Amino acid sequence: MSTAALRILRTGYVSGDSVVHRLDGRVKFLFFLWISVFNYIFYDLYLSIVSFLLVLALATIARVHRFALTVLGVIVLPILALGVIVIGGPFGFPHNKTLLLAFDLLGFKIGLFLEGTVYVSTWTVRLAVTITSALIAYLTTHPSDLAGIMLKSRIPYKFAYAFLATIQLIPVLTNEISTIYQAQVSRGLNVKAKLIQRFKSIIVLIIPLTLGAINQTQIRAIALESRGFSAPVKKVMLRDPTLKSIDYLSLLLMTVGTIFFVYLIMTRGLVPFIQGVRYIQPGG
Amino acid sequence: MSTEIGKVEPAAVARPTGFVILQIVLIPVIAALNYVTGVIVNILKLPLFMDTWATMFGTVVAGLWVGAAGGFLYNIVMAFTVWGLPAWVWGFINIYIAIITWVFWRIGWVTVKSPVKLLVAGILVGVTNVVPVTAISWLVFGLLPTYAGTAPIYAAILASTNSMLWASVGSSIIAEIPDKLISLILAAVVASRMPARFTLGRRPG
Repeated sequence: MSTAALRILRTGYVSGDSVVHRLDGRVKFLFFLWISVFNYIFYDLYLSIVSFLLVLALATIARVHRFALTVLGVIVLPILALGVIVIGGPFGFPHNKTLLLAFDLLGFKIGLFLEGTVYVSTWTVRLAVTITSALIAYLTTHPSDLAGIMLKSRIPYKFAYAFLATIQLIPVLTNEISTIYQAQVSRGLNVKAKLIQRFKSIIVLIIPLTLGAINQTQIRAIALESRGFSAPVKKVMLRDPTLKSIDYLSLLLMTVGTIFFVYLIMTRGLVPFIQGVRYIQPGG
Repeated sequence: MSTEIGKVEPAAVARPTGFVILQIVLIPVIAALNYVTGVIVNILKLPLFMDTWATMFGTVVAGLWVGAAGGFLYNIVMAFTVWGLPAWVWGFINIYIAIITWVFWRIGWVTVKSPVKLLVAGILVGVTNVVPVTAISWLVFGLLPTYAGTAPIYAAILASTNSMLWASVGSSIIAEIPDKLISLILAAVVASRMPARFTLGRRPG
């Protein structure tokens, strides 16, 4: 996971002139919240798949689909594989009744059940939708806009600073850990040693990293103060994001979508399209 | 002709601003350290997460709210970039970790000078953490097995109890106790090596 995550955090912003890039950051984050919430309200695999195809299409338009697919491959695919084997297989998921397929493995009859497989697929597609929509919002919004959006959304500027500083610090500290790692390897650190020895190795990597990072906090604090960070005045923004007609159109589409979803819930319940599979509560 | 000269008084300062700034600057450092530990765990191929140790460390060296904010921010950043929206709720685990670490630190258990107390504190953090972890797993992941390392245990408990809840609780216990124990030991060891000028939190006692 770390490599994919680091790649995204290092990339930060994928420049482009697509329709997704031109949308205001607030609209993109609202879309991310909107589609995530509705995907978690409904328990319908078809609806989740349609939502996933929609966000994947948007990711392709914004040319961030490769990032999205990499992350999904690292985070969602293992959960899907594990889930289908354990929950969809004959390991005691209490709702398993309809056999999808069965085969012999080393003399044992192994089966895959519809209920467990749909349950796992629904939850993992939900995850895929929310991850992809988050990546679209993050990768197509300029960091300066991100700060502007946070301040305009009345988020305290100290929190906005902390959020943006974390995104910037992660690649910096990751570079430092690779320097420390190389130095420790030249001093005999063995990453293929026994487990206990590897646990001890954490100390020699983390102490220099932490002391270095803490040491730099004073420099950062001075730099912030020299720019009037804690001055008791109203802060101004470098970029002032404003809503355009395309943003209002997107908001209108989301409103129409919300009305449609509410109508679906009232008329057809939380499983409006998929037939023959009832709603299963987690752990129920 | 006389001119009135206004009385100039020094501005009242309740507390030194530099202290607060240092605390604020420490928050992203803690969040980033949580993340980078994941990279180290990958390098060393360790079967743990250890992405809460910096929350514990931040709580010990800079106080409860700095540790909690740093830990929560780590989850917020990851949720809005890589993990997706629902994962932000893992931030509550970091807040819980900060609170329980702070309690144990205040009573003097998070110190390398008392290894037995540190060991007991680590185990207690792991055991009690199973409750919020299971709650979040229920809400966000539908109690699915999400970690390959504990999936066989999950499958075994599910096969014997027919309950996803117990399977999730059982596999969480197996994962959480060693993870939180080692994280707390690491936080205590690194905090013990910190120069006193960087320790912003009040010491216990």
